[in-house]
Amino acid sequence: MMLTALLLVIQVAAQDPRLERLDPETRSLVVSVVDSVRAVGLPTEPLIQRALEGVTKGASGARIVAAVRRLATDLGTARSALGPRASAPELEAGVAALRAGASPEVLTGLRDARRPPLTMALAVLADLVASGVPADSASAVVLALAPTARDADLVEFRKAVERDISLGAPPGAAAAVRALNTGIRFGNSDATSGQPPNRPPSRP
Amino acid sequence: MSQPLGINRVEASDAELVRRVRTGDIGAYGALVARYRDRLGRYAVHMLGDREDAEEALQDSFVRAYRSLERCDDPARFGAWLYGILVNRCRTSGARAARRRRMFVRDVDALHGATHADQADRVEWSDEVNRALARLAPEYREAFLLKHVEDLEYEEMVRLTGAGVSALKMRVKRAREQLQKFLKEAEHV
Amino acid sequence: MFDRDDDIVERVVRQLRQPVSIDPALDARVLKQIADGPARPVAAPRSRFQWRRWPWLAAAAVLGAILVARPWTAGNDTAASSAFQFVLVAPQASTVALVGDFNDWDPARSPMQTAQGVWATTVPLAPGRYRYAFLVNGVEWRADPGAPRARDDEFGTPSSVITVGGNGS
Repeated sequence: MMLTALLLVIQVAAQDPRLERLDPETRSLVVSVVDSVRAVGLPTEPLIQRALEGVTKGASGARIVAAVRRLATDLGTARSALGPRASAPELEAGVAALRAGASPEVLTGLRDARRPPLTMALAVLADLVASGVPADSASAVVLALAPTARDADLVEFRKAVERDISLGAPPGAAAAVRALNTGIRFGNSDATSGQPPNRPPSRP
Repeated sequence: MSQPLGINRVEASDAELVRRVRTGDIGAYGALVARYRDRLGRYAVHMLGDREDAEEALQDSFVRAYRSLERCDDPARFGAWLYGILVNRCRTSGARAARRRRMFVRDVDALHGATHADQADRVEWSDEVNRALARLAPEYREAFLLKHVEDLEYEEMVRLTGAGVSALKMRVKRAREQLQKFLKEAEHV
Repeated sequence: MFDRDDDIVERVVRQLRQPVSIDPALDARVLKQIADGPARPVAAPRSRFQWRRWPWLAAAAVLGAILVARPWTAGNDTAASSAFQFVLVAPQASTVALVGDFNDWDPARSPMQTAQGVWATTVPLAPGRYRYAFLVNGVEWRADPGAPRARDDEFGTPSSVITVGGNGS
């Protein structure tokens, strides 16, 4: 019991100085989330940036803490889906894709279908949904493109779909049509099975 | 969490913004202008008695400050330095008596539009104050505003006006006496 | 009506201390007058701002956009950074700042420069995904109309996203 007390007293608060922008109460809550995230090997920078975003936007401490906690949870979910070797950018993009409505299985499918880094593929998935493409369609399309498309191709694909949407095409149809144009066979059977053709050698 | 927590916001200091302006960052100067616009504007409006004149003086002062920024010895005190430029600019503003009178024409529409007696009273009182202020000699008005409205110390006022402390104290005293006199007269109209 | 002489002066002071709001359009007039006038002598940049590292700044400056490039301090970047230009068309704005995950959401870090209502700045970005937004006149939040929107907007204001790939694409 003495030892525990000692440990509590000499607890090292390795605090990022940028968090001084937060008031003390909010700061200590955010720091405890950051510390627990660090302890499990997840990246802390996204959490700090989310807190700083909240400060700049004048959000209440409660809102900031809630956002940071939610992000910590989602980072954990993303890592479960993407595996322990996922980089910080991949995890952040993974969180975006999950929040857009992609299931963890889709993330795992991407990991199996594509060489790292997966950042762009996950980002395109999230951004397509942000443009209005239904999550299922976006997931299917990105999974279909994943094995062979380069990052730049995926970005071009997303831009083309957005252009079509801005010209009035229904988002789901826009994605499907563009996918057809790339020569990828795009159908529901592929989507539900999550088994795209031409799988590269699986990651070690 | 049952109650909202306070947040500390961070803004770039004047010194930091001045440093950036000096490396060519005009946007940083925009931030300084926005920061000081209303505060300096209050002095200019009361000193000159006319909003248009005040905005013109303000604009001139900001531009002049930018162009002579290397002469600001202590960037951390940019505001005080800028103040000096404005005080001087207001002195040379030149009396545009006709436009000044325009401000003190009773705002009839405001009075008619006032739905409560105290709103009308506020407009009247504001008119009285402005009229009394305009009747002060410029150096009395300047000293009174710097001391009582802008809350400067006499040492600071010496730097801004070039007058000595005792002269400034005398001016402030005379300003107070005259304001009391003018406003009691107004009461007995 | 007035009990003591000093009360009059106190009431006058209270009246005069009320805040005065000057038309914010003054800011733009000042900046325009400055921009139209003779160029300020530019002090030599401090060593932290390394021209050698960002030679593209000289080229971009010709386009009329004065660039603010500050290497991001948060760090896991062994990867090289590429420069990305952010643009917002806002002719009525007096100031526009770029804030996002790459500059700690600090409005003072990346103020933007304007030429005829087109605001721009360039920021080096290592691979990653960054939320960002424009802060107009210090009070109004705007997303980037030319970029994907951030879906998870937890603070009630719009944000955009930029994703930088492994090759800086």
